Amino acid sequence: MRRYEQKVYQLAYRLTNNPDDAADVAAETFLRMYNSLRRFRGDAQLSTWLYRVVSNVFFDFRKRESRHQHLPLELSTEDGEEPMELPIEDESVDIIGHALQEEQKRVLMEAIQQLPEYQRVMVVLFHIEERPYEEIAQILGLPLGTIKSRLNRARNALRQLLEPHRELFEVDSRPTIEQPQEASDAL
Amino acid sequence: MRCEQVRSLMNEYIEGSLSEALRERVGAHLSGCAECRRELRFMRAIWRGLSEMPEAQPPADLHARIMTHVRANTRLREASPRFALWRWAGAAAAAAGLFLMGFFAAQSDGVQATFGLGGGRTAAVETPTPVQAGVFIEYRVVEQGVRLPVLEARMNRAANAELRYAPDAQKPPTLVWQGTLQPGKTVEIPLQALLQASNERALTLWWSVDGQRRVLLVPAGYPPAKLASIRLQAKLGDALRQLASIYQTPIEWQPHGEEPLVVLDVQDATLEDALRQLLQGSAYTVQRHGETVRVVAH
Repeated sequence: MRRYEQKVYQLAYRLTNNPDDAADVAAETFLRMYNSLRRFRGDAQLSTWLYRVVSNVFFDFRKRESRHQHLPLELSTEDGEEPMELPIEDESVDIIGHALQEEQKRVLMEAIQQLPEYQRVMVVLFHIEERPYEEIAQILGLPLGTIKSRLNRARNALRQLLEPHRELFEVDSRPTIEQPQEASDAL
Repeated sequence: MRCEQVRSLMNEYIEGSLSEALRERVGAHLSGCAECRRELRFMRAIWRGLSEMPEAQPPADLHARIMTHVRANTRLREASPRFALWRWAGAAAAAAGLFLMGFFAAQSDGVQATFGLGGGRTAAVETPTPVQAGVFIEYRVVEQGVRLPVLEARMNRAANAELRYAPDAQKPPTLVWQGTLQPGKTVEIPLQALLQASNERALTLWWSVDGQRRVLLVPAGYPPAKLASIRLQAKLGDALRQLASIYQTPIEWQPHGEEPLVVLDVQDATLEDALRQLLQGSAYTVQRHGETVRVVAH
């Protein structure tokens, strides 16, 4: 069961971006699974069923919890000014590259949280959990064509949300093998 | 092919789901359009960023929380088919900020209090042997794995007291109970109905005796967590509430002057260690009092 707990928690965390809420969603997921275990006919994979229950719990949770405020986890000043600058102590590691990657992840997670719930679930299932279209269609009970078109809309919405942070995504901080830019992009 | 057409196909291009012919046309446009290549780099970076998202570290008490939630709810539902409806009604009413629920009663050790949201009256009926004076949070085990919090107040003199529920700093707190404490008498206020109605993992309560206020952070009663990893920056009251919720340990706090902003970053720390780091350099110190942790001014 603990293996599934991790799986459920990871998905719940991606959807809520809050450890406490994710644990609540995970707990309710297992309750619902326990209550409907007898109805599980085995016509879907267990993981598909699991993802479906987490998604449904998340949709219900969002309806109920929309009034709740969460504490910010990032270091920022009380009146919402720019985040504090932390001193750089060890120059032997790629601190700037690491900081850029961290900032990129943070900005991405924030952008995902701004997507409408359905789009958020689709982006998380496809891009982060790496589920195929067919399985997402089963999880959300929607036709394959609908999933593809909605996911495309979700990606475009995400891209729009990330436009102000474009520079963060245009700097690749990871070591790469240099290729002629024109050729690699056009392929 | 125009730029707009190419951009509308960008996701499929990255995914590799375009037909051979379409892919070639898009590729041909890209090789001659620097702006679209820039857009492609941006989109690819977003796709890559999503696929490289690191795994989140689950809280140390995840398994315990899941098991407690499942046990508590399956028992309650089995015991009462109307429970789900009642709970839904309570949560909905709490969300609407209504004074509700009528009055609840609890009886234990021969001492009884009734209360209701919106201002009930106490009805202390018996006098047990006076013990220590003050306010205490106790957890009663009603079934295996199910612990329910009860507030106990005892005084060695007569005093006016009230309990308020303060869900957030923006809204005025709601009166839960008000009455006069009598010397040697204990008033008990069960908190499970308030917890269920609020649907929170930890309640923020204001307990006042003769106008002197202290904040009680009362968790729902899941099994306490021994170790946790936490990173937060918040006002002291919010930070303490998070700790009470994470460690499932009640915290009593006497605010003194301006509420400081605190930062916490600990790995696998006990509650005491987390509190020590949290309060370092502040005007507060920590005391253990039975199940409750007290944060008091130096």
